[in-house]
Amino acid sequence: MNAIEIRDLKKSFRGMYALNGLNMNVPVGSIYGFIGENGSGKSTTEKLICGHLVKDSGTIKLFGKDYTDAGIRIKVGALIENAGCFPGSSIYTNLKMQCLNLGIKNSDEEISRVLKIVRMEEHKELKFKKCSLGMKQRVGVAMALLGNPALLILDEPINGLDTDGMRIMREILIDITKDKNTTVLISSHILGELEKIATHYGIIRQGKMIQEISAKEMESRARIFVSFKVKDAKKTMSLLKKKYKNVKKEEDFVRVYDEEDVEGIVKYLIDNDIVPSEINKNKVGLEEYYIELMSNKEGK
Amino acid sequence: MEKTNSLRFDTPSFYKRIKGMLSVDFYRLFHTPLFYIFLAIAAIIPAMIIGTTGMEGSQTGALFTNVWQAIAVEKPLYVIENIGQYANMNMVFIFGGIMVSIFIGHDYKSGYVKQLFTTHSKKEDYMMSKTLVCSFAMACMCITYLIGTVLAGALVGLSFSVNAGSLICALLGKLIMSLGWASLYVFLNIIFRKYFWISIASSFFFGTGILIIGAAAILGNSGVLNIFLYGSSVFACLSSNFLSVIICFVVSIAWSVIYNILGTYILNKSDVY
Repeated sequence: MNAIEIRDLKKSFRGMYALNGLNMNVPVGSIYGFIGENGSGKSTTEKLICGHLVKDSGTIKLFGKDYTDAGIRIKVGALIENAGCFPGSSIYTNLKMQCLNLGIKNSDEEISRVLKIVRMEEHKELKFKKCSLGMKQRVGVAMALLGNPALLILDEPINGLDTDGMRIMREILIDITKDKNTTVLISSHILGELEKIATHYGIIRQGKMIQEISAKEMESRARIFVSFKVKDAKKTMSLLKKKYKNVKKEEDFVRVYDEEDVEGIVKYLIDNDIVPSEINKNKVGLEEYYIELMSNKEGK
Repeated sequence: MEKTNSLRFDTPSFYKRIKGMLSVDFYRLFHTPLFYIFLAIAAIIPAMIIGTTGMEGSQTGALFTNVWQAIAVEKPLYVIENIGQYANMNMVFIFGGIMVSIFIGHDYKSGYVKQLFTTHSKKEDYMMSKTLVCSFAMACMCITYLIGTVLAGALVGLSFSVNAGSLICALLGKLIMSLGWASLYVFLNIIFRKYFWISIASSFFFGTGILIIGAAAILGNSGVLNIFLYGSSVFACLSSNFLSVIICFVVSIAWSVIYNILGTYILNKSDVY
């Protein structure tokens, strides 16, 4: 069973399709990184799952049931666009209201629990409008965490956060999913951060899912490369291209893809009077994988 | 990876859902200044009208000779002859409209409504809860209006003579009409939810009863006008009897059901922004 199962989902705005037959499978217990360029349909998908938008056609199932089922919805938490808090009220008051809505009996305990998770215990009396962006995002996550949701939907939760804010958010997400009972759907443009936490990825383009892949599968499929830091990159490039098929320049480094014989390449360079000052053997990351996938789809 | 056996999904009953939603709305009502500001406004307005028009040397002359005229008209007159026949407790329903617009506007502006709809809350729960809470707030405003009127009337020295039974029926009628008015305003605010100022303007426009006053100018003081919220609100006058209360009750309930159904339909068929 999947936490989210979407089939042939369509949504248009004034005749323009934002989603055009989207299919999506989010496994239970996963951290699903939802990736796509601006306007690809990520937020629309999330808003449809949350019931903020009305779909044109298609099906959305959450944990095997229709997404409108109240029993399922009470176990969904979301942070979409903003935290959904009243600016003039304190963090505590905002959380209290959501506790009342969810029918949580020991609301004070629950508020303390979620504030501890988001590292905000000491700020509960602070008015929401006085919070920094990072704090607001964390309060939004706290709101979404009330009542122990089985599904957490986070739309760009790390956008605009500083390095420390991103680290805290990453730690929070790892904490939440430790017990594997919470499934997280997270969209972000910061692929480097997403790569550190996601267990699965969905790549969307022009309202259609172009690939769903687990992090493990991606790693096994990822191309290997050996990179060299050299003084004369141009000369090195032309030299390596004579012997190897896939050679690219990436910033200060020259990369040779799909070759595992590091010694052989180094020997070849030295024999030709090029001494690398730095050598790395690595696999392509999510960002490169994504760019490559997008380029292939565009037929480049 | 899958540990679905530890996940339980219990469908909350309608009672649990509406209780949750009402709890939120009442909590908000009592924990934000908006409600108290409007209670104060409802008390101050009649006091100011009675105070200023009743003072010696007032240019307008005394609008009221009897304090209860500031609560309701003596007879159900839809065609207004002077401002005194208009300036009564029905004004609460105008301020009430503004209060509802602000109350619901904050839901949308803050994005809280999205939090509600992400969870188990249904659109009909939202309509129902907002209608009930806002009608409660308006009924409270009617009470503070009454207090303000009585205190100002006593200070100015207006007459208090009245048929107590009719006065009680008039007051009951107006309290009951709060439900119908609240449902109208909630409905208007659902339609114009993206445009806060249009919501306020439309609430004000309907609250003034200008459409019914206009219709009365053509139809005269016809009883047919009682099927409308403004008509019934006027009908709850100082010559009311138990029948007036029944009419107010039926009209108020009927319109609130209609507006709730229409509002729910619109919410279900449109996107939440």
